[in-house]
Amino acid sequence: MAISERREERSRPNIWGIGVREVVLMALGAALYAGLSYVTNALQLPGASNVSLRPGIVIPLFFGAVFGPIVGAFTGGIGNLINDLLTGTVYWNWDVGNAIIGLVAGLAMYNTLGRYNSTVKIIVAEFYSVIGILIGLGFAAYSDIWVSKLTFASATTTEFIPASLPDIVLGLILLPILLIAYNAAVGRTGRG
Amino acid sequence: MLINFVYIKRDTPIHRLDPRVKFALLFAYSLSAAQTSNFWFILAGFIGAIYYYRSARLKWSETKRAWYFIIFITFILVFVNFFISGGAIVQGVDLSHPHHLFDLPFVHFTRTFPFLGPTKFPFTVESATFIMTQTMRNFSIAFLAVPIPFTTNPDKFGIAFKGMGISDKISYAIDLSLRFLPTTVRDFVTTLDAQRARGFEIDKLRGGIFGKVARLAPMIVPVVIGSVVGAEDIISAMELRCFGVGKRTWLVELQARRIDRLLITLAITGFAIVTLLNILGFIFTKGPLHFLHTQGIPAFLAP
Repeated sequence: MAISERREERSRPNIWGIGVREVVLMALGAALYAGLSYVTNALQLPGASNVSLRPGIVIPLFFGAVFGPIVGAFTGGIGNLINDLLTGTVYWNWDVGNAIIGLVAGLAMYNTLGRYNSTVKIIVAEFYSVIGILIGLGFAAYSDIWVSKLTFASATTTEFIPASLPDIVLGLILLPILLIAYNAAVGRTGRG
Repeated sequence: MLINFVYIKRDTPIHRLDPRVKFALLFAYSLSAAQTSNFWFILAGFIGAIYYYRSARLKWSETKRAWYFIIFITFILVFVNFFISGGAIVQGVDLSHPHHLFDLPFVHFTRTFPFLGPTKFPFTVESATFIMTQTMRNFSIAFLAVPIPFTTNPDKFGIAFKGMGISDKISYAIDLSLRFLPTTVRDFVTTLDAQRARGFEIDKLRGGIFGKVARLAPMIVPVVIGSVVGAEDIISAMELRCFGVGKRTWLVELQARRIDRLLITLAITGFAIVTLLNILGFIFTKGPLHFLHTQGIPAFLAP
């Protein structure tokens, strides 16, 4: 245990750097986010205004938590933009909001180094993910007060709450499943 | 399931525009319109946006899916906003003496059983004007936004972002993500079909919200983990080819024409002027420099 922790400490990655690995993972994350959103667009959560149940939200959270904030931000922002290109509309403030989600989720790497081999580390990733969703969707929803001239009450009840609550639930349930599955896959293949 | 971008190949003035122009116009107008609730300013933008959209020669049958969504969103933003806010929706303008038209019957929460009671929402000239302005603002932004996916070849997005000052690596990642997309969608659909064969019913997820979400895992986990593990081969291949070592060249080069440069200059100048007028409007509380801070209602409507 002590040896592995020392090893992790020694190989502390630069979480803001962009190399070949990050380029490929950013592209893959954005494609997965857009693809999953595209496939699951049919699932509508009753009571939500313009927000569907999007299990795809776990993709920027996962890519941020495991590969860093830049990969997470790209996955969220460009993935949402590509989904916009598939549906025919562009809402730039929601693209920025999704980028913030991935970015904040990626800050978990400061505490976990992208390795989720203990319950505590998974809880840390969950914590950053919830904060990321609140900040990212908060930005998207409340920027509509300025962009679309909504009132605060309206931005909260028709956008922020219907968007953030399902995303938090989705993130809290699906992120640990993905992290554990990724650990198992990395351990099995010796990659990652 | 085949993935289709909504791009439609056609020869129109908007299709010929540099993608950077389309983004510049959208951002410049969105950020300018966000600074005012002046009816006449937004009306002018609305008319200009309609002209722009018509120039793209997009048919209703091609764009109706996007428009249904936009109409739904606009309804929520405008009318639900009005009722949730108790009619007090006017913002961003000086509003000291509203001109009352009539009261709208509605319900509100009360302290005693049955906790709901009748109430009245005041409907004023100002709120009617604001609703019209807000509707026009949303539609004018949509008229500028919808042509972007419908008239821009997805192959040009990477180089367009490069042309907007984004780094080579990020631009290439955008390009690459568009190439990955068909494969990822195919993998999701293949996995979905395989899980359905085992009795997985995504269309009829049972249970509460937690149960539903947990039942989505068999579709998501195999594709995501398989893709990430498989990406190591792509990373290795790119590293072997020394990706990112030198300056990157692009197969497609964007050539901005005179009209493209003119439109980008107009967009940036227009945004700068509106921002300046907005700032001056805080300093001068009356007169023409204050007009962005007013709704622009004619005197005979609001004496």
